Amino acid sequence: MVVYNFKKIAPVPTSKDFVDVVLSKTQRQTPTVVHKQYAIGRIRAFYMRKVKYAQQCYEEKIARILDEFPRLNDIHPFYADLMNVLYDRDHYKLALGQLNMARGLIDKIGKDYLRLLKFGDSLYRCKQLKRAALGRMCTLMKKLKSSLEYLEQVRQHLARLPSIDPNTRTLLICGFPNVGKSSFMNKVTRADVEVQPYAFTTKSLFVGHMDYKYLRWQVIDTPGILDHSLEERNTIEMQSVTALVHLKACILYFVDLSEQCGYSIKQQVSLFQNIKPLFEGKPLMVVLNKSDMKTVDQCSPEEQELVKTMQGANVQFITCSTLTEEGVTGLKTVACDALLTHRVNTKISRAEKAGKESSVLDGIHVAMPENRDTSERPPIIPSSVMARMQQGETTKTQRKLQKEIQEECGGAGVYSMDYREQYLGLKKEDWKFDIIPEIMDGKNIADFVDPDIERMLEELEREEEEREARGEYDEDPDALDDGLTEVEREQLDAARRKKATLRHESMMARSRNHPTMPRTVAANRRGDLSARGRSMDEHLEELGYDEDIGARKRARSMSEARGRSRTRKERMDVEEGEEGEAMDVDGERAAKKMRMASRSRSQSVPRDVAGHAYKDKTQQEKAKKITKKVVKSAMKVKGKGTARKGEADRHVPNFKPKHLLTGKRGIGKTDRR
Amino acid sequence: MATRVQFENNNEVGVFARLTNSYCLVGIGGSENFYSVFESELADHVPVIHASIAGCRIIGRLCVGNSKGLLLPNTTTDQEMLHIRNSLPDSVVVQRIEERLSALGNCICTNDYVALTHTDLDRETEEIVADVLGVEVFRQTIAGNVLVGSYCCLTNQGGMVHPRTSVEDQDELSSLLQVPIVAGTVNRGSDVIAAGLCVNDWSAFCGLDTTSTEISVIESIFKLRNAQPSRIVTEMRSSLIDAMQS
Repeated sequence: MVVYNFKKIAPVPTSKDFVDVVLSKTQRQTPTVVHKQYAIGRIRAFYMRKVKYAQQCYEEKIARILDEFPRLNDIHPFYADLMNVLYDRDHYKLALGQLNMARGLIDKIGKDYLRLLKFGDSLYRCKQLKRAALGRMCTLMKKLKSSLEYLEQVRQHLARLPSIDPNTRTLLICGFPNVGKSSFMNKVTRADVEVQPYAFTTKSLFVGHMDYKYLRWQVIDTPGILDHSLEERNTIEMQSVTALVHLKACILYFVDLSEQCGYSIKQQVSLFQNIKPLFEGKPLMVVLNKSDMKTVDQCSPEEQELVKTMQGANVQFITCSTLTEEGVTGLKTVACDALLTHRVNTKISRAEKAGKESSVLDGIHVAMPENRDTSERPPIIPSSVMARMQQGETTKTQRKLQKEIQEECGGAGVYSMDYREQYLGLKKEDWKFDIIPEIMDGKNIADFVDPDIERMLEELEREEEEREARGEYDEDPDALDDGLTEVEREQLDAARRKKATLRHESMMARSRNHPTMPRTVAANRRGDLSARGRSMDEHLEELGYDEDIGARKRARSMSEARGRSRTRKERMDVEEGEEGEAMDVDGERAAKKMRMASRSRSQSVPRDVAGHAYKDKTQQEKAKKITKKVVKSAMKVKGKGTARKGEADRHVPNFKPKHLLTGKRGIGKTDRR
Repeated sequence: MATRVQFENNNEVGVFARLTNSYCLVGIGGSENFYSVFESELADHVPVIHASIAGCRIIGRLCVGNSKGLLLPNTTTDQEMLHIRNSLPDSVVVQRIEERLSALGNCICTNDYVALTHTDLDRETEEIVADVLGVEVFRQTIAGNVLVGSYCCLTNQGGMVHPRTSVEDQDELSSLLQVPIVAGTVNRGSDVIAAGLCVNDWSAFCGLDTTSTEISVIESIFKLRNAQPSRIVTEMRSSLIDAMQS
């Protein structure tokens, strides 16, 4: 359901304020310092930013106004018509349309000047372009002066409109001026509408609320209407007509038989006949007001005839007097009931048409029980409550409430009640406040609440002993007969032991104070990919790699100590071991030694940490080349081979170069030494 | 009669209190205001006591009881249980139960004769409910919700269920519970009935947001102030249809 609330629309600034706000915002929110020696790109960017910012600022502000003001086509027809009557639809639409147009134009100006700025070749030219752009935008806004002023007025008026809900239960009061409409309103609601003995005291719609039958009702007091054609009606009367046309309400047409209002019965009846088409399909009450002055019986026969002409199918006549309050409540009841019946019938018939009648009627089903047995299930109400109900519920409790005590004792947060006061059923009154420890002699006293707990424990133990004595718990080999052979049972035990071991191991692993590692990574470290279901070697071989690279190589290199091993090489050991047997083959050994000596020592190559990422040497080379290129181009583009971030980068890597500041000074050489 | 209350600006009063025909437990709040509302209505007739369960004040959702007994969840501490047992009359059996679904108030809904329970409740718990509270126990759902304790409010005179309960389900529940049943809302359209309402055979407390239509339905179905449930379909019919959002 739409809720109409026009109170939240933000104020519309005047065109002058608008321009001031946008310009100062642009000034504050964009950079302000630019110098002509800057690179022209930078200067252009500086001014382009300003133009773009100003344009966005305008656009945002205008869009907000356009969003917030209600669109006449989207709101309830009652409000649309009311706004038409009050503010003139054309004027309103025109004002919003102009604003929308201005938004488009400003957008276009912004774009055009951004394009021009791209060709600005000096600071001066760029600045002039920016000036021109902002200037044109501001001129455009200045032309909207009258629209903005009008919209601000509309906003202020809208905010003061009564919040009428067009769809709720409504009683609509109408009639000639001065027939007692507002007086009735004041009687049934607390709206406190102004009542004066002259015509058109009420100049706009007023809303009051009342409760009836657990529901909230809206009562709308309308300004009086005169008996003339629609074209002649003024704004004040048109508001009433709008309400009559669009609100599905119960209409109370007030008639003053005493003619004190200054209009004859004939005029009042003629007005009724004129606006009768507006009452079509709505419950209608003709209220013969001021019955304290004159009732129908006291009227002349001609007047009675006139009144009778108002009769119709769904018209009810009600006599009342707002002065003596005679018939006022009756009128309210009859009107509300008529409207409620009308609304319910409409709702049900609509649901029937849509085939959803049950959805409406299900909500008010009371399921009554069918007896399923003979037992009685009476309510349990204490006799004191019964007695009090018979006395009538007006009797208030005599006791002093905790809330009152709390207020006396310093209020909430200071006072705290002693809950022990309420303890019942203790043998002695002062036992209530005994301190009861939670733990006593290392035992939880709650376990000993039961007075015969020890006796029961003894009983249980005795029972247990008896059972044991009877041999109920003895190991019974037959009881274990689960249909397994000896071998199977052993296997089962083994499986269980393994399971327990694994569980224990994983628990230990998890309880370490260590970052946890994903299983796959851990598997890679170990050199197998069993976590993924197959070994790393298999995986690598599948991909066509030599088995000595990759994770395995890395794993080995990590496990091996760097530098010279502290023990002699294995190979040597073997040789030495063999020495005894191969002593005689001296020549062979010497040759080997010679060969070893002739070989040059292998160069230690630094471990290429990143090397593991490459497939092979060529890939690595390629990557190196690309890196070099990127770095080089970065150096070249920004500044003279100095890797500057931009022209604003004034970083000096070394303020005090050592070669300039150390050593003896010669003659007159301070810059180069 | 029905009273509108708030617990520390919260409308879900059924969460912070547990009301039965022979006692009333009220959560411990920052002030005595909430407690005093119950005190002024009930304290002349039955004990109204402060309680906490497992250090929480959402006692209405954690425990369940009727005039014969009170069931506490296993999270209740010994001290809290001691306090409750001391404050309640001896005729009320206080029992702590080992149940996995420890928010008993959400899982069980009972009057003095019949109880509805969550469908997954332990069988032992079901037996304890039957023994301690002296009720017949039925495993049920309400409008497809297993949390019967949240979506249903029950007394010996009537019951209110989730607004989306179908007419057939209402009839079935009514025959099962042997009380008139109506589908309704509290707190301006809230469907968690038991959270917004505490009620016994002669008084009711609902959230401050409850509308007058809702209150009048509550009073009629629970037969407070000598109202009759039939009033809902006769006198109030048109008001209810009109107030219904369609």
